[in-house]
Amino acid sequence: MTKKKQRAKAPAKKLREHHPDKAIVYIVGDSPMVEEHVALCSSHGYAVVYDLNGKSQILQTVDSSFVRKSAKIPSNVSFALELTNIDLERKRKNLEALDKALPVTAAITSSSVTVSATEQSSWIHHKSRLVGLCALPTLSKASLVEVAPTVFSPAETIQVVQRFFQSVGKEIELVQDRVGMVFPRIICQIINEAAFALQEEIAVPQDIDLAMRQGANFPFGPIEWADRLGMQQVYAVLSALHQDLGGDRYRISPLLRQMALSGTWWKRM
Amino acid sequence: MQPRLFFKPHFSMFFENLSITTFLPMIKHLGIVGAGTMGAGIAHLAALAGIDVALYDINDTVLRQALERLKRSINKAVEKGELSAEQSTEAFTRIHPRTRLADLSHSEIVVEAVIEDLRIKKDLFKHLEAGSKPTTILASNTSFLSVTAIAAATRRPEKVVGLHFLYPVEKVKVVEIVQTVQTAQETLQCCHEFLNQLGKTPVAVADAPGFIVNRIVHPFHGEALQILGEHIADAEQIDRIMKAEGGFACGPFESLDAMGLDTSFNATKALFDASSGDARFRPHPIEKRMVESGLLGQKSGHGFYIYEQNNRK
Repeated sequence: MTKKKQRAKAPAKKLREHHPDKAIVYIVGDSPMVEEHVALCSSHGYAVVYDLNGKSQILQTVDSSFVRKSAKIPSNVSFALELTNIDLERKRKNLEALDKALPVTAAITSSSVTVSATEQSSWIHHKSRLVGLCALPTLSKASLVEVAPTVFSPAETIQVVQRFFQSVGKEIELVQDRVGMVFPRIICQIINEAAFALQEEIAVPQDIDLAMRQGANFPFGPIEWADRLGMQQVYAVLSALHQDLGGDRYRISPLLRQMALSGTWWKRM
Repeated sequence: MQPRLFFKPHFSMFFENLSITTFLPMIKHLGIVGAGTMGAGIAHLAALAGIDVALYDINDTVLRQALERLKRSINKAVEKGELSAEQSTEAFTRIHPRTRLADLSHSEIVVEAVIEDLRIKKDLFKHLEAGSKPTTILASNTSFLSVTAIAAATRRPEKVVGLHFLYPVEKVKVVEIVQTVQTAQETLQCCHEFLNQLGKTPVAVADAPGFIVNRIVHPFHGEALQILGEHIADAEQIDRIMKAEGGFACGPFESLDAMGLDTSFNATKALFDASSGDARFRPHPIEKRMVESGLLGQKSGHGFYIYEQNNRK
């Protein structure tokens, strides 16, 4: 603990500023978040190097001359995005590799939906460079992004992260560093409740979606939402919430668990 | 992997085959008990759909006020060009104010929209049963009471059903048809047809705490309160995030303020009780404190936000 405190107090090194059309962004993590962020960054003038957690898939992006797939992290990267929510072992390895390969001046924003950013920063040596981020599929299109500073993040790192997101057309909303953050926690609990209702055979899936869209003015029904976010992601968020907060409130619907683990979901009947 | 269907409740199967197999007579006479906001709203819809409405209230003043409101809302529809003057007069003459329950006896369906008190509802259904034809469908507009318990107060539970209209009745298209284990298929069929007549979208639901909408909307508010309580973000931030990231028309706290915190707190308490104290539905202390201190949202001028003449400051 004392070591941690000393590190927190140590003055943070100045981080590199970002200029689209010069800076290189490295993106690694789960599909389809990587694809979405590659498209977002490259369309705003960044050169992008990405890795889909070791998968061989190659992306068909708009401007491929500035987008490259590589498992090896280039040393001249100035900003990194780690977007793994499901396989936390893999996430840890990715962060350790990034920490080793990147210059100390490069900031890392890492999805902190299923594991807190503060916990993640305990995995790496240069703790002050890591900031938590809310990353779930489809969220890259939103005009706003939740960012969670850790106990180690100095104001400079947050500023760099803010400037980066502003350069890709997003405002940041600073929230406390807790598992589930804001949107994922609420939306996944809604999906979980819908799964309980389905399990109890209270109504059929398309009626639940219809009732929530028309009756509660939701933009999507909960089952549609699960389709959009992907069941594996939803299950990862719910598991993390259950582990972090415990209790009956965050109990996962057995049906939802079964569906997520077997790779099936209701979709349209 | 291909998604698969793994269950199909019997009531939905029934609705799917409805249009092909059965012919149902149109509803001509509707009885409504309780001339509050919901009762008057249903009367408005039915009158416009060409149904004769007997609107009952125990209180003569409430009844007169409801008629005034109905007249205004129907006139508004004329101003907007949705109705002709003739249609509006015709619609208005279809609404008959009544102060005796016996005057509802020729209705094919009676919809109850009185206060959410199980004892009062049970009593009322006993009276309705005694004073109506054996074929009359008795429907309750309850949001969170057990329709099964209400049905059990009568001797013909197969004719008792929940018809959960959502507020504002004129705008929300979806209506939950709540089926108990004893509700007859024919009763559901009739309700389905009746809602079609009103231009509503029926959704079949089993009689479980909160049905669908109130149950699944609960985490939207409940989890937001939890996040606020844990100081992860403030109310304004949570609203902004839910609107920007989730595409919601309004954030959870704006929505709580608009609904009224007392209404929301009572609904949550009812859901919590009806689910035998399931932790997922536990009311949040923040909401309780706010209700206790009279911070009820828009209607009191102060909730999660401060309002001046219904506009947020």
